[in-house]
Amino acid sequence: MIRSGKLATGLGLAGLIVLFGLVGPLLTGDPATIRDVGLTPPGGEHLLGTTLTGQDVLAQLAHATRGSLWIGVLVGVMATVLSGVFGIVGAYAGGIVDEVFSLFSNVMLVIPGLPLVIVVAGFVPADQRGTWTIALVLAITGWAAAARVLRAQTLSLRNRDYVAAARVSGERTWRVICVEILPNLLPILASQFVFAVVLAILSEAGLSFLGLGAANSSTLGTMLYYAQNGFALQREAWWWFVPPGLVIALFGGALVLINFSIDEIINPRLRDRARRGRDVVAVEAEIAPVDDDAVLTVRNLNVVYQAATPVHAVKDVSLTLRRGEILGLAGESGCGKTTLAYAINRLHRPPAEVTSGSVVFHNGADVDVLALEPEELRQFRWAQLSMVFQGAMNSLNPVTPIRAQLQDVLRTHRPSMPAAQREERCAEVLRLVGVDPARLGSYPHELSGGMRQRVMIAMALLLDPQVMIMDEPTTALDVLVQREILNEISRLRDELRFAVIFITHDLPLLLELSDRIAVMRDGEVVEYATAEDVYLRPQHPYTRQLLASFPSLTGERGALIT
Amino acid sequence: MGYYLRKLAFYLTALWAAVTLNFVIPRMLPGNPVDILMAKLQQRGGSVDPAARTAYETLLGTGGRESFAEEYFAYLGNLLRGELGVSVSAFPAKVSDVIGDALPWTVVLVGLATLLSFLLGVGLGAVVGWKRGTWLDALVPATTVLSAVPYFWLALILVALLSSGLGWFPLNGGYDVVLDPGWSPEFIGSAIYHGTLPALTIVISSIGGWLLGMRNMMVSAMSEDYVLTARAKGLTDSRTMIRYAARNAVLPSVAGFATSLGFVVSGSIVTEQVFSYPGIGSKLLQAVQNNDYALMQGIFLVITIAVLGANLVVDLLYGLIDARTRDRSTVS
Repeated sequence: MIRSGKLATGLGLAGLIVLFGLVGPLLTGDPATIRDVGLTPPGGEHLLGTTLTGQDVLAQLAHATRGSLWIGVLVGVMATVLSGVFGIVGAYAGGIVDEVFSLFSNVMLVIPGLPLVIVVAGFVPADQRGTWTIALVLAITGWAAAARVLRAQTLSLRNRDYVAAARVSGERTWRVICVEILPNLLPILASQFVFAVVLAILSEAGLSFLGLGAANSSTLGTMLYYAQNGFALQREAWWWFVPPGLVIALFGGALVLINFSIDEIINPRLRDRARRGRDVVAVEAEIAPVDDDAVLTVRNLNVVYQAATPVHAVKDVSLTLRRGEILGLAGESGCGKTTLAYAINRLHRPPAEVTSGSVVFHNGADVDVLALEPEELRQFRWAQLSMVFQGAMNSLNPVTPIRAQLQDVLRTHRPSMPAAQREERCAEVLRLVGVDPARLGSYPHELSGGMRQRVMIAMALLLDPQVMIMDEPTTALDVLVQREILNEISRLRDELRFAVIFITHDLPLLLELSDRIAVMRDGEVVEYATAEDVYLRPQHPYTRQLLASFPSLTGERGALIT
Repeated sequence: MGYYLRKLAFYLTALWAAVTLNFVIPRMLPGNPVDILMAKLQQRGGSVDPAARTAYETLLGTGGRESFAEEYFAYLGNLLRGELGVSVSAFPAKVSDVIGDALPWTVVLVGLATLLSFLLGVGLGAVVGWKRGTWLDALVPATTVLSAVPYFWLALILVALLSSGLGWFPLNGGYDVVLDPGWSPEFIGSAIYHGTLPALTIVISSIGGWLLGMRNMMVSAMSEDYVLTARAKGLTDSRTMIRYAARNAVLPSVAGFATSLGFVVSGSIVTEQVFSYPGIGSKLLQAVQNNDYALMQGIFLVITIAVLGANLVVDLLYGLIDARTRDRSTVS
């Protein structure tokens, strides 16, 4: 479980401080004993020196640490229970209960805490201000932020299938919450508890420093209060003032480190990761194109995911894309077809690495894509080779209008183009794919799924590239829209003569659409032939198996594309 | 329009809750604030006529003559007219005048320091997230640990080192007392000079939260498809980072302003105490120490209204920078 130094350091430090708070008071003497050795520097009999009245700082520190920890734990428990009740129960119950609870949490959240605490502490006479009062007030003012997070999490959990199943099968509400929901929230609850403890210790220190702390209590805050009122810093008695704050800082720091580790458990993406220096390991020497008409040649390309056990995702793939051709890339999910497509444009993310092979682009001169410098690669992308990704929903930036995302391309690749011409070009490509240019001002969420995918295709056309890679561009769409878009792609290809690499798991669709087809399995191209040959004379057993799994193929051809 | 109306309704509810809380607290808690106030007033040579007593009773309760509801509506009426009563600690000044004098100091100090901290934290967070895996990663635990350090402790140590030790900054106060407050360049210069160290402590203690939040959202945003699209489009690195990744990653930080503003205000109360800054926080403490309940209530109300107002502004701004929220039909 201890996967990082952070967690170990955090736990170790926090453990030491807790131990000091628990055991320390037993070993040190009475913190209140007054001696005539005021403001003795550390050393000898008094390891941390003495206060103005000759009290032992170490003894005081031990008792104060215990007091602060006790407040922290009290508040942590109470605040976590409150946030659980208002966050989890509200979200689970739903309806009016949720509305009221959520409104209440939000109101509590925006009312500033410490001023409220100060006002409350101001009204309660000092002799009635005990540890429990302070803890209660701190808990009441400190739970709301956590409740909001818990509510959001619970809302997403309660709609999961296994929770729905438990509810349908008639389990009691409290049982569903405790057995099905709570365990999933544990990391978040733990993180919030830790945060509440830190916050409580800090707030209590602040209150005590202002003279509004619990009466007759001994905490790190009251210790600082006395040190400040005894002019510790002005008398250069740093040993009196610095240690209490340092204990709070170290404990807070330790809990923060623990929280980091919990965050990384909740969200694995946050884990520390070494930055990748390279995306291409070996670049092979140039090989002259076999085919005069080729626009893109891929030779013996290998891509490996450098995990603990390396995964060889693309094995020795060689492909040739001719001018104006549609090359279909078929295979089941996980066969490496998307990894291949990304590697061609060097978009593969770590830990993926191109270990060997070559990708050469032919447009007048040959361009060795794998050898391009970062700036050359940036200029090459989209101008020569554009892409249409699976799921246009997420490919468009949700917070800017379509116009900005189309114009971005022109601004970067054609900096000298005047604004009016830019606008005209964007309208033109939208018209090409059958979208009203009036939609340029729309945000992605205002468009239908089909329209978003058309916008993506329009974007890919902006710079008149030679090659377009389409990664399952129609998978998320309904059949009717899918057919419209496929017709659109065929028509545009005929008009504009760009070449397409079309990736899909849908072999019948490729038989209709493409000129040639490559079938991939486990990272290898097992069949590579014209569409007709693949359909009529499949060579590899896997291809035959794939074809056999589509019974509709025995019917007439040409049903998909009209 | 629905979005803005809902937000307005929410903040009116919150305001009502705060006002009511302010009314209920002195009535719920032990002690008899009105008697203490009247005694104080007498000490200060103030009038002890029944009218003054009735005014305090409306504010703080424990009168017993009127019904709870009557008292509540009289209290709301007073608030609407801006009548917050007379301060006993600054007798015979009215509470509203005391607050009016102190408020600009806090608004400028806390406002500027918070804005600076937010901009720095979010900016650094974006860069740290983008350059993940480099030495910049060390900034995250470093600044977060700083936010676990008690505000006032850090501030006092900085004062001891930078002001007493090196003499770079003044020890305390909001301006040089030999100058007359006004818009003269000397006075403004002095105010800036005196405000630098308090602002610095606020920035140091609060920057870690912004930085961490932004960095984590940045890491999540970088694996989104629209960032991949931006890279495939051959956009420059800086454009991809700012317009695509950071533009989306900053949204939760803006939305989280509500949570943090409360902390910042709380911290500034302590900071003002440390620096004897003539702001609203030191007035609040002065009120608490002198049992000046009317001033206490007035200040709590003003702070709450200021925080609610700032949040409302941020929410309206959020509607501008994220079009999706305006179109969402349900309350999130």
